[in-house]
Amino acid sequence: MIPGSELPTDLERAPLIIEEERAVEVAPSKVPTTPGEWVRQNLFSSIFNGVVTVLSAAVVLYFGFQLLRWIFVSADWAVVKANLRIYMVGRFPLEEVWRVWASAYLVAFLIGLSWGVSGLRLRWTPRKAALRAVLGVAVLLVLAYLLEGLRIWILTLAIPATVAAGVLLGRAGSRRLRGVVIAGWVLVFPAIIVLLRAFDGVPPQVWGGFMLNVLLAVAATFLSFPVGILLALGRRSTLPIISKFCVGFIELFRGVPLVTLIISGQFILPLMLPPRMQLSLIVRMILVFTIFSSAYVAEIVRGGLQGVHFGQYEAAKAVGLSTTRMMALIILPQALRMTIPAMISHFIGLFKDTSLLAALAITDALRAARRASAQLEFIGDQKEALLAAALLFWVVTFSMSRWSQRLERRLGVGER
Amino acid sequence: MASEMELVGTEVEAGPEQMIEAENVKKWFGNFQALKGVTTTVKRGEVVVILGPSGSGKSTFIRTINRLERHDDGRIVVDGIELTDDIRNIERVRSEIGMVFQSFNLFPHLTVMDNITLAPRNVRRWPKAKGIEKARALLERVGIPEQADKYPAQLSGGQQQRVAIARALAMEPKIMLFDEPTSALDPEMIKEVLDVMKELARSAMTLIVVTHEIGFAKEVGDRVLFFDEGLLIEEGTPDRFFSNPQNDRTKLFLSQIL
Repeated sequence: MIPGSELPTDLERAPLIIEEERAVEVAPSKVPTTPGEWVRQNLFSSIFNGVVTVLSAAVVLYFGFQLLRWIFVSADWAVVKANLRIYMVGRFPLEEVWRVWASAYLVAFLIGLSWGVSGLRLRWTPRKAALRAVLGVAVLLVLAYLLEGLRIWILTLAIPATVAAGVLLGRAGSRRLRGVVIAGWVLVFPAIIVLLRAFDGVPPQVWGGFMLNVLLAVAATFLSFPVGILLALGRRSTLPIISKFCVGFIELFRGVPLVTLIISGQFILPLMLPPRMQLSLIVRMILVFTIFSSAYVAEIVRGGLQGVHFGQYEAAKAVGLSTTRMMALIILPQALRMTIPAMISHFIGLFKDTSLLAALAITDALRAARRASAQLEFIGDQKEALLAAALLFWVVTFSMSRWSQRLERRLGVGER
Repeated sequence: MASEMELVGTEVEAGPEQMIEAENVKKWFGNFQALKGVTTTVKRGEVVVILGPSGSGKSTFIRTINRLERHDDGRIVVDGIELTDDIRNIERVRSEIGMVFQSFNLFPHLTVMDNITLAPRNVRRWPKAKGIEKARALLERVGIPEQADKYPAQLSGGQQQRVAIARALAMEPKIMLFDEPTSALDPEMIKEVLDVMKELARSAMTLIVVTHEIGFAKEVGDRVLFFDEGLLIEEGTPDRFFSNPQNDRTKLFLSQIL
């Protein structure tokens, strides 16, 4: 003890404040409660909370009841049922619709195959199983209302069957099929174009419906991803010509409303091209959406690149990697992983933006809804028609966001 | 370290006796002059320890040797190759120099094995099996053969730094640069890294080490360089340097750290 200090010299008799310094605090154990207790603790813990609970329950019940009553009683879904084909494929001629089905099976099979090869398994906790069962029954009920005739039922149910077949085959082949899957995804888009067009097929002017939204979004997504990465890399180039060009490209197309670009693609682009080089409408639209999207992708990737520590560049250079290899093997893999959430958000947005095609006289899913509700016998059924289109978009975007969460979890394993 | 491992990756062929020649090397960061004309020569197989207060330019100097920093004036020749703006020369020099950083800078998205084999496979064009064999031998040498399939984030700092040393050695460099390799480590991990470095120093490898570990300098250093304010102001064998410093600033620095 230091002489003259104010601490008690006899430590054994010094009062120890035990209550305030408990070394190990045990987390309160969760006692399972009965439903009655749970309600009291969570909903009626005070008079104020009780009042809030009762009031909000009343509001929720009222609107919930109104919504359900509208869906099942007041709403007339015949407008959707009668226009199902327009929703899905627009003015695509009936006798050629088999081409769309064939394309759908191709994609379904590829999805199943990728799923099987990647070895992802659904986790079946009782809660999830129940949720999926409810969802499955709901989908079947909707289909039961919409689909009429054995033929269309078989064609529709063949889609999940094709996915399942792909999964089984993918699991059996596992890693050996990896190359096949990648090649499949690269080739699937041209294959679909050929399938729809070739052998006296259907010209792109009459393609439409949700099929067109999906085609356009998928093409623009897969094209704008690499282009955007190149723009982001070009932006950091030490050559002024390249970096200025990339900055100009990005700032120009990011700053212009998409509708402007769509209309330019439709009406101005043909004037700028020589008569022999005219592009079909669908190609022009893919071009427009790719250009627009790659400007955004470039900025997202730039953010990711900035998130990579400079030490990574130095380490890559120090082991002798060339700039190209450094970017491809060290920097981009880390940068792109960080951008997954922003990237998926952007592609979800891009997919929804394909409904801006309605600005032209193209019958995409949204315009199909407007056309359907303009028919004489369905006047006044706008709500139903638009809701159906919204649901179509939501199903796809929601799946995308769930898939991206899986991807993030998977790529995050064991890192950082 | 195990003596039977001693020669893995350190076979050094004969060549000119001067491994590194630096002549009047100058470097500016904006208006700040980090190096004010450094001249020195490092012989093949020599172990050079660089000391100096922070901001003295010692890190900047070794970073100019593999061109992580471009020198603005003067001349640097590494194993007969002069460092200029020619990217081919730079890449040739870099593949002959291994570097170990203060903050390890392992590639976090790759396993330990992939961290080590990446450069030999991509730069030296080794077949996969040869790279893996080499990596296993190196991991054995740095004492962590069981960590090959882990990711860097799953290792301790000392283990990460030893992986970083293995990664640098995988390219079979003629020169190893260490930029304060133990400064970011917890005290109990410094020894394991220093042991690996000492074993390297006793091999035929040319080493340049920026460090504050005086014990390391005394034990295995051939020569000590002392930097202050961008200048090389004193050099000598460790014995002479630590027992009989000539320059006043050297004396002051040593009195503060010893």
